[in-house]
Amino acid sequence: MATRALLAVVTASPPRMIQIKASTFSSSLKFQRHITTIGRCFSSDTNPSVLQPPDVSRLAETARISLTPSEIEECGAKIRQVIDWFGQLQQVDVSSVEPAIRAEMEGGNLREDAPETFENRESIRASIPRFDEVYLKVPKVLNKE
Amino acid sequence: MSTTLFRTIQPNHFTLLTTALLRTRTKTSRHISVRCQTSTTTQQPRTSAPKNHGSNKLDEILKDYEAVIGIETHVQLSTSTKAFCSCPNSYGSHPNTSICPVCMGLPGALPVLSSKVVDFGVRLGLALNCSLSLKSKFDRKQYFYPDLPKGYQISQFDVPIASGGYVDVDIPLEFGGGHRRFGITRVHMEEDAGKLLHSDAGDYSQAMIVDLNRAGVPLLEIVSEPDMRSGVEAAEYGSEMQRIVRYLGVSNGNMQEGSLRCDVNISIRPIGQAEFGTKVEIKNLNAFSAMSRAIDYEITRQALLYNQGQADKIVTETRLWDEGAQKTVTMRKKEGLADYRYFPEPDLPEVILTQEYVDSIRASLPELPEAKRRRYEAMGLGIQDVLFLANDVSVAEYFDEVIGKGADVKSAANWLMSDIAAYLKNEELSISDVKLTPHELAELIAAIKDETISGKIGKQILFELLAKGGTVQGMIKEKDLITDPVEIEKMIMKVISESPKQLEQYRSGKTKLQGFFAGQVMKMSKGKANPALLNKILLEKLNAKE
Repeated sequence: MATRALLAVVTASPPRMIQIKASTFSSSLKFQRHITTIGRCFSSDTNPSVLQPPDVSRLAETARISLTPSEIEECGAKIRQVIDWFGQLQQVDVSSVEPAIRAEMEGGNLREDAPETFENRESIRASIPRFDEVYLKVPKVLNKE
Repeated sequence: MSTTLFRTIQPNHFTLLTTALLRTRTKTSRHISVRCQTSTTTQQPRTSAPKNHGSNKLDEILKDYEAVIGIETHVQLSTSTKAFCSCPNSYGSHPNTSICPVCMGLPGALPVLSSKVVDFGVRLGLALNCSLSLKSKFDRKQYFYPDLPKGYQISQFDVPIASGGYVDVDIPLEFGGGHRRFGITRVHMEEDAGKLLHSDAGDYSQAMIVDLNRAGVPLLEIVSEPDMRSGVEAAEYGSEMQRIVRYLGVSNGNMQEGSLRCDVNISIRPIGQAEFGTKVEIKNLNAFSAMSRAIDYEITRQALLYNQGQADKIVTETRLWDEGAQKTVTMRKKEGLADYRYFPEPDLPEVILTQEYVDSIRASLPELPEAKRRRYEAMGLGIQDVLFLANDVSVAEYFDEVIGKGADVKSAANWLMSDIAAYLKNEELSISDVKLTPHELAELIAAIKDETISGKIGKQILFELLAKGGTVQGMIKEKDLITDPVEIEKMIMKVISESPKQLEQYRSGKTKLQGFFAGQVMKMSKGKANPALLNKILLEKLNAKE
């Protein structure tokens, strides 16, 4: 990954992180994706208090979901609400607070390096639509980045 | 800072490289073959030797342009389990058997980090002279690809476990020699994706096949500063990464199996220009020699475009090294920085290291390649010997044990680099497979030094011990070596009486002929006479009637 680009993002990251952590409150997985994408839009913005309206079509594309025009319209309004909420959060003065990189948790939740075979592997394999002998079969990838 | 340093070194370096290409051909094959076992760096002159025009062209180019090279190295860790679940991490298992809800990204499954991954990350970070983050975190890097079941990779984005380090390397003499320091930007923990393969059968163009055993296997990614200026420097950097991970025991560093993967970022710019040129990424480099050649190819390609006024045709893209065609080809064009939409991994807590933990790992680090090289150098060994011995950790450990038993340093190095290395290569063995223990090699060296046995017998014993094991003392007995002075004296007298002419010459001052007599006696004894005794008695007899 490009070091310079990385630095650019890193310098812009503290406000971004605060926004994104809020995304874990969301109960909808699909929605979570949207918020994080918007989070990134904020971070590249030089003035974080000016929030851009969501480009729902682009968001849907990056999440690989199809939306009808009416869904786009419906989502757009909802996402807008969330963005406005973040706008409020950003007005809070946090200059005297040391940025937390993650929520505080009890330490020591690491795992021993002891292998264990998952017993119900068959049910995972049963849900795979296509096999080529022992391999999963997938369509040839058309790269879409 | 380092940029200016390298610019001054560089022209000289490449002139030396060209002469080295010619010189290497006259070298004994011993040296080349031996280094190939663990580092393919020295294969480069052999493969590119027929194309000397190519490197002359490169010399020309490098009068006007400077290459700027950075490397991303992915190291697959030799843990027993995957990074975030207890699935076995074993290369070569039956496809799609090492899977569970966590690494398949099934809803509700939660990742739990293996302590070994943190341990290895700290080890490597310290070995690369990095500062460690006592608090770091994981992030999700999101993209869609069939080898990535979750739809995101768990990685570390803005707070990696280690950053801001450096690595020291020695450029092999045949490439001009010299010592270089390359910056390390960061080391971070992440998980591997599955393996995507082309289907052999049927609708080849329509389908691909996937093995998900590798999905979730722990990796450490090492990002270098853009400090390399040539293919040789890049290959040496890669070799050093391989040595370091092997010394540390964090990975087998095997490039063919993909346990060590290097992606190269390269741009060129007219000498004197401050800004970097457009950067191209090269993937699919499965040997250091390929890395070196791919970079030289890419420098030439980009310089040609510059010279033709088509610099705008150098675009940000990923290119693949085509080993068959010996060139790089476009794999995919990148539109700016890919939109990975990183965000903190909500399912994992931050990674907290205590200073005590870091200190305890620091204290347990083995001697690293650079320290070993400097120590060997200080012992008086030449740089060729130093590079050979320190290249392979098991060879270095073996050597250390031999000299630990009091063996002469230079002799130990010579035996390892010549006869033992040749034996290993012929038998396709590694040093840890041989039956000759370091203790017995030390004994053998001592026996030759105090002339209990001749060098020739020593060699015979060496090969028998390598293949069958045993002790030097046992072999000397078994070989029925003649240590009886009376018997040796008899043979000496016989040789002297059969060579009156040489005796006369000797006695008239041609004392070099002592070697002739010693040789004759040795021959008569079928090499079994104790050389020290032989020489002692022979001298007495030759000088007796003076």
